[in-house]
Order: sequence, then C-alpha cells, then structure tokens
Amino acid sequence: MNYKYSMFWTAALGGAMALSMVGCKSDAEKAATSDNSSTSTNASSSGSGGKRPTPTGKGNSQSGDTIKLGVVASVTGDLKPWGDDSYYGAKLAIDEFNTAGGLNGKKIELLMEDSASKPEAAKTAGEKLMGEGVLGVLGEVSSGNTEQIARPAFDKGIPVIAIGATKTTLTDIGANVWRVCYTDDFQGPVMARFAYEDQGIRKAAIITDKKQPYSQGLSESFKQYFLKLGGEIVSEVSYQTGDTQFQAQLTELKSTNPQGIFMSGYFPEVGPLAAQARAAGITAKFFGGDGWDSSAILQSGGDAIIGSYFCNHYNNKEARPEVKMFLDKFKAKYGKEPSTTMAALGYDAALVAIDALKRCKTLDSASLIQEIENVDKLQGVSGEITLKGHNGNPPKRALVVEIRPASEGFQVFKKAYDYFESK
Amino acid sequence: MAVDHLFAAGVNFGSLPAQVVNGILIGSLYALIALGYTMVYGVLRLINFAHGEVYMLGAYTALFVSWLIYGNQVAPVHTFWWALPTMLLASMTVSALVGVILERFAYRPLRNEPRIASLITAIGLSLLLQFGGQLFLPVAPPPNINAKVNPYSDSMTFYLKPPAKPLADKASSLEAEATATEKAYNEALSGVPSGEEPGPTVTALRNNYFEARNAYEEAKGAAANSGVSVTIPKGQLIMFVVTMFLMAILRHLVMFTKQGRAMRAVSHDFDSASLMGINVNSTVTFTFILGSALAGAGAMMSATFISGVKIDTFYGLLPGVKAFVAAVLGGIGNIPGAVLGGLLMGVAESLVIWVGWGDYKDAVAFLILIGVLMFRPGGLLGSAKVEKV
Repeated sequence: MNYKYSMFWTAALGGAMALSMVGCKSDAEKAATSDNSSTSTNASSSGSGGKRPTPTGKGNSQSGDTIKLGVVASVTGDLKPWGDDSYYGAKLAIDEFNTAGGLNGKKIELLMEDSASKPEAAKTAGEKLMGEGVLGVLGEVSSGNTEQIARPAFDKGIPVIAIGATKTTLTDIGANVWRVCYTDDFQGPVMARFAYEDQGIRKAAIITDKKQPYSQGLSESFKQYFLKLGGEIVSEVSYQTGDTQFQAQLTELKSTNPQGIFMSGYFPEVGPLAAQARAAGITAKFFGGDGWDSSAILQSGGDAIIGSYFCNHYNNKEARPEVKMFLDKFKAKYGKEPSTTMAALGYDAALVAIDALKRCKTLDSASLIQEIENVDKLQGVSGEITLKGHNGNPPKRALVVEIRPASEGFQVFKKAYDYFESK
Repeated sequence: MAVDHLFAAGVNFGSLPAQVVNGILIGSLYALIALGYTMVYGVLRLINFAHGEVYMLGAYTALFVSWLIYGNQVAPVHTFWWALPTMLLASMTVSALVGVILERFAYRPLRNEPRIASLITAIGLSLLLQFGGQLFLPVAPPPNINAKVNPYSDSMTFYLKPPAKPLADKASSLEAEATATEKAYNEALSGVPSGEEPGPTVTALRNNYFEARNAYEEAKGAAANSGVSVTIPKGQLIMFVVTMFLMAILRHLVMFTKQGRAMRAVSHDFDSASLMGINVNSTVTFTFILGSALAGAGAMMSATFISGVKIDTFYGLLPGVKAFVAAVLGGIGNIPGAVLGGLLMGVAESLVIWVGWGDYKDAVAFLILIGVLMFRPGGLLGSAKVEKV
C-alpha cells in the first residue's frame, strides 16, 4: 500500500466520521454535563438537606417601563410540539397579567428565543436573552437544553425556571435554578408503583435510550423502586436515539418473559419499539415516562401502543377548577386545546415568575432569585407549587394516563399519585 | 457452561438462531445501500457520500406517495394491493433521478480535477441535502408512513426445536384459569361506577387475575424457552425477498448485458474503456441509476415495513454510514463484497446485542472494520491494488 492510497482512505474515513458526528449532536457536551452532575448526586434531594451553590454574578436590573423576561423554547426541531406549547402557555400567563394592569403599571415583556431542540442552540439562545437584559429566563422543556441555559445563568446570577426538565440533578447546578415539574426520581417510582400495585406486574424489563441522560435517570429510578417494592427486573436492554430496528434487543428481552416493560425513552423511538415488540410476539404491558407525551406516539406506535400507560404532569380532563379556567383561556387565545402538558407547565413557570416579581423590592435578578425561592403554595394549573426549601424541586403530584386511540382522546386519566418520599 | 463466564450477563444460546436471522434481515438492507457506494466507487473511484441522502429522498417519496394513495395521516380502511409496488417504483424512480442529477451537475464537472475535490463535493452535497432539505420537506412534527399502509405487520414463528411437551401442557392448562379470572375481574369492574374506588371483592378478584396471569405467562415463557424458535416479522421477510430479487436483477444486468459489460470495463480501466469506444458518460450515469434505485428501494421498504420510524432529513445518515462501512468491509468496488459486508455487519450487530454489549454496537462495527483493514487493506473480497503515482 503506498502513501497516496492510504491517504485516500484516511480522508474517506475521516469524512464518514465527520458525517456521523453531525447526527450525534453534542455527545461530548452531554457526557461532560452528565459527569458533572453525577459527582454532585449526593447533594441532590427533593425536599430537605443539601445546599446548592449560590450564584456569584450580579445579574441584570431594570429601570424602564417594561420588565423583560426571557423564554427559551424549542419551537423548531424534534421537540416542536412541546416547545410550541411551552411558549404559548408562558405567553398566555404574561399577557393575562399585563391585561390585568401589570406590576404597578409596568408591563412584562416576554422575549422568546428558539433553541431548535438542541442543547448547543439553547445555550446560545439563553446567553442572547441574558445579554438583552432579561431579569430571568423560563424554559426549557428538556433537561439537556435546560442545563445549557442554567450553567451560564449561574455564572451571570440570573434565575432560571425550568418548564419540563425532569432530570433529578438539574437543580444542583445552583440556587438560581428551579422547576415547576416533578423529577425523574419521582416519576420512575410512580410508574413502578402503578405497575406493581395496580397492574400486578412482578417481573419487569427495562429499555433505556443510552444517549439520553433523561432516559438513563428514569430507568434507574424505576428500577430501584420496583426492586424495593419486591419486584424483579429480568432484563435491561438499550438502544440509541435515532435507532430504527430493535429486533435484536427484543429477542433477548422476550426470552426473559417480562410481564411489563418500562420504556424510558422519548416517543419517536418508543412508538416503533412498541410496534416491533408486538410483532416479535411480546405480550407484556408497556409503561413509560412523560417523554411519551405526544399524540405523535399514536402515529408511530399504531395499535401496539394502545393500552399502554405513562406518567404525566397534568391532564386536560382533570376536574380541578384551575384546569378548566386554563383551558378556556387557552382556547380563547389560540383557538384549540393544548396538545401537550407543556402548555400548562409553561403557564405555571410564568406564574411563578409573576408571583415572585410581585414581591420583589427592587427590579433586579438578585431579588428575583430571592423571591422565587420564597414561592409557597402557589396554585398552578399542574398542581400546587412550593419552591421554598426544596432545592428547586417542588413536591408535585403525578398522574398515570392510559393511551387510547385519538377518537377516545389519546390520554385517559387512570390514577393520580400525590407526592411521596421515594428514597 | 464454561463459555458463559466469558460474558458479563451470560449468553442465551437458545436465541442465537433468532439473532443470526435478525442480523441477516438487517444486513440485507445495509447490503442494498452498500451496493450503491461500491458501484460508484468501482467506476469513478469516488465515495458518493450523498448516497445516504439519496436514500433519505427515497423514503420521503414513499411517504408522499402513501399520502397520495391513502391521504395524509388517515389510516386506510382497506389497503390496495398495488399501493406498495407503486410506492416502491416511485421511490426507485425518484432516487435514480436524484442520483443522475447529482452525477451530472456535481460530480461530472469535477471528474478531471484532483479526486479530493469530488470527495469534498460529495460531503458538501450530503450536508446540503440534510440541512437544505429541511427548508422544503416536512420535518416538524416528523412524519412517518402510517403503519396501516403495511398490511403485513404480524410475524411468523418457526420452531427449530419444539417446546418441551410437559411444559407446553402446563402452560395450556394454566391458560384457562387466567382467562376465567380475567373475565371475572372485568365483569366485577364493569359493575363499579366510574370515578369510584373498587371495593375489596373487586380487588380480590383483581389479585386472583394477576396471580393466574403471571403464572400462565411464566409457564408460557418457560415452554417457549425450552424450544428454539425464530420469529420473523412478515414485513421484514418481504423486505429480504425483494432485496434478494433486486440483487439477482443487478447481477444479471452487470454480468450479462452490454451496458453491464461496459460498466465492468470502465471500472477496470476508465481511460482505456473510453479509447475502446465505450460511452463513459452514459455508463457512469447507468451506474448511478442502478445504485440510487437500489437505495430508493431500500428506503421505501425500511420506511414502510419498519413502521412508525420518523422520516426526517437525517433519515439516511446512519444507514448510509453503516452501508459505507459494509462496502469497505467487503472490499469497495466489489459487488459481491458489498453484499457480504452488509450481511456481516448486520449479523455482527445482532450478535453484539446477543452477547450483552448492546451499548457498544456501533463501536463494534467500526472495530471490525479496522480489524479487517489491518489484515486485508482491500477489504474481504477486494484486492489491494498498488496505484502508480
């Protein structure tokens, strides 16, 4: 083999690698962040103990007629259905507040930046908003994106209220990060309890998306609680975001005879996964987390996904008055019901910001951080939110819903779980 | 068994035949795409990195045609027998057309320039189609071909060794009880007004049902595991048969037609072939048509039979890279080599999961590639020709 020949191969393979890297988004970045968080897992807790680092930056302050808040939303890309709803929800709350007179006559201006559903773009979007002088940032719907906003925000001393980021260690970044949703440390146990107590599952298998920190964390919390209840995990297999064929994994899983399968990934892969599992002759029930919350799963899962259960934050058909009021307002403004729960969570995140702003003595980020931490028993659409003394993780309730055909309303409420200690 | 200790999880030899079959089914798709890489390399010494995007456009074509036939998003009430062949032909045609356009306007003007220029152009085209495609193709929410378009969504099970008789008998004896307790529970449950918590009698019935069901499932599983079986989804089987058929046609075209002989001549020596009066341009175009049409067929079948998978502009990225590796593995430029490489990649992937190293399945593919290239730089069936500088 002469020099020219080998050079050519190097170039060709290099090209292939470069191409494959494009699809991987930012693995290195994700790995780095998950390393960071795993070292600080001990500090995490939902409830008591542990102290989060205090942000050192000065933050922004405002003196004009408007109060600027930012929202980072995935209004393009894979998470678009959630991102759109999160923005609509937040905008609804802010507009409502402004129409009602605002804060002593000052209106809130909500600046939106698109994260294109990607962590690196979320970072840019967050930094742009902070550069424009927002007091605080709302968003994102996914943990990977929120981390990239929360880190620079910590350095700058700007508060971040995550909308749908459930990764447990997220709020360990600093005392400037809160969320309005539950954590994976809670939804995993909720599904474990539902599977064990309500569905009589004793042997479960777990399928994890190895590329998503969300999925890994959720699988782990499900596993721990299911074992604690006395169940048995008979098989654990994995795939990666973007995989399309799962026969090999499912063949291995089938030979262990699980009665239930917990799929902790996101809906684009879960749909085909469920369809292929049924085609492979697996009859076990399917369970999942809030990553399933998109009616697109009906398209991708077909008949196979009907009758499966997943954990969600809130349901449009709940009887609580907050839900009905919210839906009426949403429909009046946008002409349709929200298609995902992120609208309600986006609304709640904005409510938290407004509630804190009302109590701020001065209009700057530092005092906003202080007042968000003081949010206590706020009645949100998705339930009561208490941030005080919980290290950014409010003890929230969770719902289990069953997937039904679109004609029956996609998600049918099965059971609600109030917050319980899962450790 | 001593072998078990080699692997962390311990392997299950009962599922080995099933995994090999899984691998061959997946591998045949890689092989189909790999053929396009290898044929273009054969005649032009060019790695057509945009081949994965030709595949992606084939999948979109299948999607659009399925929308044309059945309407967007609506599940068909009954399927037409001609729908799938129409989608297949449309995908093959559009992909072939795209391949020809790429060759005519991107690669041909650079044919006499240094080879690196074409290579970079290929990478550029690939990125252009991936990201530029988002401007005019539906990507959000990511569409997929309706599962109902594929009437062959069930599977077939073949027993290499039938389940042990006593275990199978035990399972069928437990089935009746599971069904009976389920019926009793459902009847009791339907008596409970909605919104109310079921009483203790219903809960007891429920627990009975769960117990009977779990016992039945357990026995059924034990019975199944005592035999050796292979389960094949019908769609995948069709995919395999069509793939083999297309490969047979390809072989006929390349080996027994005038155009095929010209292709082999060009691949053997580009300049001499043109001196001998072979129309090199039309031969190259023919090669692109063949390779791209095969990719289009693969795309249509994977998008339809592996249903529910979202179609976006990166649809061809991973299959493209894997098929490229398969082509190199088999010896790029060598047609049987591409098929062998594809099948080998598929089987290797399945077996890696079988052993319990599923997390590293993509890494293993590249490790195999590196291993093979170290000992056979030309690939398994290729020959490492020394190029004169």
